[in-house]
Amino acid sequence: MQTPQSLSAIQQALSAGTLSCTDLVEHYLDRIETTRHLNIYIEVFAEEARRKARELDQKRQAGESTGRLAGMVLSIKDVICYKDHLVTAGSHILSGYRSLFSSTAVERILAEDAIIIGRVNCDEFAMGSTTETSCYGPTRNAADPDYIPGGSSGGSAVAVQAETCLASLGSDTGGSVRQPAAFCGVIGLKPTYGRISRHGLLAYGSSFDQIGILSHNTHDAALLLEIMAGPDDYDGTASRKPVPAYSEQLSFGRPARLAYFREAMEHPGLDPGIKAACEAWIEQARAQGHTVEPVEFPLLEYIIPTYYVLTTAEASSNLSRYDGIRYGYRSPNARNLLETYTRSRTEGFGAEVKRRIMLGAFVLSAGYYDAYYGKAQQARRLIRDATMKILDHYDFIFLPAAPGTAWRLNETVDDPLAMYLADIFTVQANLAGIPAIALPAGVHENGLPIGIQLMGKPFAEGELLGFAEELRS
Amino acid sequence: MPRPVCRRLPCSTVFAFCIQPFTFFILRDYSRYETVIGLEIHLQLSTQSKAFCGDAIRFGADPNTQVSPVSLGLPGVLPRLNERQVEYAVRLGLALGSEINLCNTFDRKNYFYADLPKGYQITQDRSPICIGGGLDIRVGDGEVKRVRIHHIHMEEDAGKSIHDAHDDHSLIDLNRAGTPLLEIVSEPDLRSAEEVDAYMSAMRRLARYLEISDGNMQEGSMRCDCNVSVRLKGETRLGQRCEIKNLNSMRYARRAIEFETRRQIDLLESGERVAQQTLNFDPATGATSPLRDKEDAHDYRYFPEPDLLPVTLSADYVQSIKANMPALPWEMYQELVTTYGLAENEAAILSEEKAAALFYKELCRFSSNNKTAANLLVQKYLPWCDENNRQPDEGPLSPEQLADFVRLIDEGKVAHAAAYQFIFPALIDQPQKTPLSIAQELNLIQNADSDFLDRLTDEVIADFPDKVTEYRSGKKGLLGFFMGEVMKRSKGKAEPKTTSGMLSKKLEA
Repeated sequence: MQTPQSLSAIQQALSAGTLSCTDLVEHYLDRIETTRHLNIYIEVFAEEARRKARELDQKRQAGESTGRLAGMVLSIKDVICYKDHLVTAGSHILSGYRSLFSSTAVERILAEDAIIIGRVNCDEFAMGSTTETSCYGPTRNAADPDYIPGGSSGGSAVAVQAETCLASLGSDTGGSVRQPAAFCGVIGLKPTYGRISRHGLLAYGSSFDQIGILSHNTHDAALLLEIMAGPDDYDGTASRKPVPAYSEQLSFGRPARLAYFREAMEHPGLDPGIKAACEAWIEQARAQGHTVEPVEFPLLEYIIPTYYVLTTAEASSNLSRYDGIRYGYRSPNARNLLETYTRSRTEGFGAEVKRRIMLGAFVLSAGYYDAYYGKAQQARRLIRDATMKILDHYDFIFLPAAPGTAWRLNETVDDPLAMYLADIFTVQANLAGIPAIALPAGVHENGLPIGIQLMGKPFAEGELLGFAEELRS
Repeated sequence: MPRPVCRRLPCSTVFAFCIQPFTFFILRDYSRYETVIGLEIHLQLSTQSKAFCGDAIRFGADPNTQVSPVSLGLPGVLPRLNERQVEYAVRLGLALGSEINLCNTFDRKNYFYADLPKGYQITQDRSPICIGGGLDIRVGDGEVKRVRIHHIHMEEDAGKSIHDAHDDHSLIDLNRAGTPLLEIVSEPDLRSAEEVDAYMSAMRRLARYLEISDGNMQEGSMRCDCNVSVRLKGETRLGQRCEIKNLNSMRYARRAIEFETRRQIDLLESGERVAQQTLNFDPATGATSPLRDKEDAHDYRYFPEPDLLPVTLSADYVQSIKANMPALPWEMYQELVTTYGLAENEAAILSEEKAAALFYKELCRFSSNNKTAANLLVQKYLPWCDENNRQPDEGPLSPEQLADFVRLIDEGKVAHAAAYQFIFPALIDQPQKTPLSIAQELNLIQNADSDFLDRLTDEVIADFPDKVTEYRSGKKGLLGFFMGEVMKRSKGKAEPKTTSGMLSKKLEA
């Protein structure tokens, strides 16, 4: 069986009777089995997926209607709560922790008959750009298993890339959906902050976090977004803005105006192969009648420091609840309360998470707050305002998804700063809270996928997806 | 699943600092000093559900039963604001004359403790909801003093740690975690334990009038931290202060302040300095002891709570709360004095609890005499309600019945003493009967019949010729003696006014 590449293909085959949900699930389970060496899945919900597939097949045979996601087989990143299932954020500190509730995103896709086939690997608490900080070991890029898949949603990206499921839910705090999507040659959508409820998403940087979608095509991303987005009583920061029917109007319909940053294209860290691919992409867009113009963005160099000060600050507080008292890992060596905290957290968290907690605690501490956290808040405001100003004149901002292609495993393990700097083109969307999408843009001469990125105005997911779809066809 | 047990908490530092013993042997002039006190009152709001989730709030429920994933701080949960707590805060602010902050933001206060599930408390650090204002209290000689309010902010409560229920473990109950609190921070305007007492009583009364909290200190609905410093009288600068944490009864607050005042004066008098410390009060010893020094004060790393959007209040919203403000205690008191003509002390007692004051006003709608009605409530009915743990309007007697009772006295049908002593308890036992029928059954209806009184007074005058002589020689006070005799012989039924008139006439003759 050939792996189907879109939900519409699957649903057509289901209607025609040439495919059953059971066949589909068995196929994906086979794919999961044959890609074990990539270490994508932390847990496969095989029996559950089979049962749900049988139910859907019976429904179809009985002529009953099924949900809009019938035939959609997904995986979820290990930071998204699914009732009665383990969720561990790739961390030893949550070993054995089973969620009492489902995230709003999961509830909404299940209500439309999606099948969740498993829980995929990620950087510990989504902190990392390589999926190497997971306590379950690294996930490998299916294009070349010696290379990282990007991160933190590396498991999600490879799950789609290696055709073990049709789409995957990830989370994007500073590029964690888009960067691995680019490294693995799939589509990665980070919606506007607040578009999808964060209820049931394990928090990293609360004012940045957003659930995102990794898929083979824009149609599937549009439909999933449409179903998951919208207000939620469990998340006061979820937007009350009406959710358009993205999947039904997947076009842009007019010549678009795009801006790109001169500073980005001339950045010394930008790989020449990526630069060439970007230039080719720009030329192609122009050839299709769109306007692509260079603009100045002198704040580019402040993006990474601003992002790391603010997210680590929030993380240091968000991760305080993992204290060994109520759930998760508790050190057996602790003899009193203080040791319960210090030992459980020392033994339970990995190095990258501890580094960020300490950084965050530092930038919030008395005497340093103004110099770091306060300044970074101001910088964030400036970056957002400058970004919005550009978007007043342009529909989209074009950027590479990352300065290079995926790198070899272990290359940045001892050089976190190099890893942080690789986020330079993705964190802007999270600082500004705007939607962004990473799209495949060919293959580098080193054989690895290249991705480009488009950022849009707040809540312009429809335009982003429509434009991407038009460019493709 | 949540495990309510954690390892015993360390208490090593608490007793490291010894209380200065026996300083009271040294003669010191404590009266040269004055105590300066500022209070932080934590008021638990009586909302149906918690500050940031839908969990119920019920005191006394089984441990860890009023908890959802939000109260437990499980991974992936987010707070959502209970708007009722905002309304309650505005109500209190308006009553205290505070300025209401229309753009409210929340902050996180980070610290680790076993009863703090998220590892941070949601509070308002940068923009408290109420700024300024004040509360009048009555001090010593009835003088009115204004205690200024610095600000009031909203926050959530932590859970409860129980350290004495188990040998090697502390127990954690998270039912209280997330209960909405108002922290009311006063200026350092209080000067004695008595003033603290008066201030806390007044705040409790106000909270109950506003129906925002039951102010019950035993159940922890109202607790306070005291900032205490001392200085020589006449000095205008403030002394170094110490903060005494978690005083959960007025008695403890009083004892703690008294102890702490002495301790600080003793330090100064022996040439030492008061160190800025956070103190714990031990009710068993009556002493304060350091919890932590300034050097190792917590760094709470406050920062804006990213999970809650700013809460913007409109002027209309504030106006609508203002328009629907319930009666305030001092307004009620004033009304009882001026409109109902009550004495200050009676008005004070009746306005102590809103339910009592409202019940009194209802009673007066039916009653012939406001003062007799007030006396009946103050002397008999409210004490009975207190003893039997009932609200006045939940008791066995309706305002109409009590009004009938008042009328019985007021119209002279029953003697005041007899009514209080016999009819009141009988009426409580048989509330289905009228006061009049009980008076008749007990044979307590007063008799003003002149033949009856004529005979009785004659008898008494005849039986005590010596006393009559004494009276006539100027010992007019003996009238009471004759009255008493008549009352005794009439079994209390002789109508006192007529009787006394008749007696004096006959004695003067």
